[in-house]
Amino acid sequence: MKYLCLAYEEENVLNSLSRNEWDALRHETLSYVEELKTRGQLVSAEPLQSARTAATVRVRSGKLAVTDGPFAETKEQLGGFFLINARDLNDAIQVASKWPSARIGAIEVRPLEEGLPEERRYR
Amino acid sequence: MKYQLLVYLSENALSDSEREACYLVSAQLTRHLHKEGKYLDASPLQSVALATSVRVRSGKRVVTDGPFAETHEQLGGYYLVEADDLDEAIGIAEKIPVVSVGTIEIRPVLEIPGLPKEP
Repeated sequence: MKYLCLAYEEENVLNSLSRNEWDALRHETLSYVEELKTRGQLVSAEPLQSARTAATVRVRSGKLAVTDGPFAETKEQLGGFFLINARDLNDAIQVASKWPSARIGAIEVRPLEEGLPEERRYR
Repeated sequence: MKYQLLVYLSENALSDSEREACYLVSAQLTRHLHKEGKYLDASPLQSVALATSVRVRSGKRVVTDGPFAETHEQLGGYYLVEADDLDEAIGIAEKIPVVSVGTIEIRPVLEIPGLPKEP
């Protein structure tokens, strides 16, 4: 089963790391990505640009409304995501807990729905 | 440039017939994006009731039920698209059917070397 792991961190905390600390975190993250890839557990992983660059889009009564900023202002911001194959939720939690930024922020783990279900959206 | 489009929608916003219509339009949109070489990935998520949040503090794993943040609308799925700029990404977002009842957050992806290209 596929799980989407959403990595939330405070952007200020990451930016306040020294060059050496950032280098260590970056390399640890890239080597964990390699490890998951080698194990065949990684579908994709992408870092996002700052939440300051987010735009939010709605259409109401046919009219487009675009606002600057993310959907919700939160203390920690969505900084990236990784999509994994895991046996079950426990396995997914195990993978997420070893993602280096879990020590700084939080990883939200969400099971993917395999295609949009016919009877109703959410089971 | 790659953009992630995060689809937020109240989980009971749609009636059965609205939902079925929405699936058809969503699938058409992904096929259209694919034909134009702009489609990278998309998937619906299971209910936010099944979300789990993971933190590690002082080497200890802290697992809580529920999403990172409780919000009025919930993250219901995502698209990953290739677009020339934010304007084009907004153009794609406004074609996602639930944009008329929910909210699409657009985030540019940071391209860094070293990430796997293929599953």
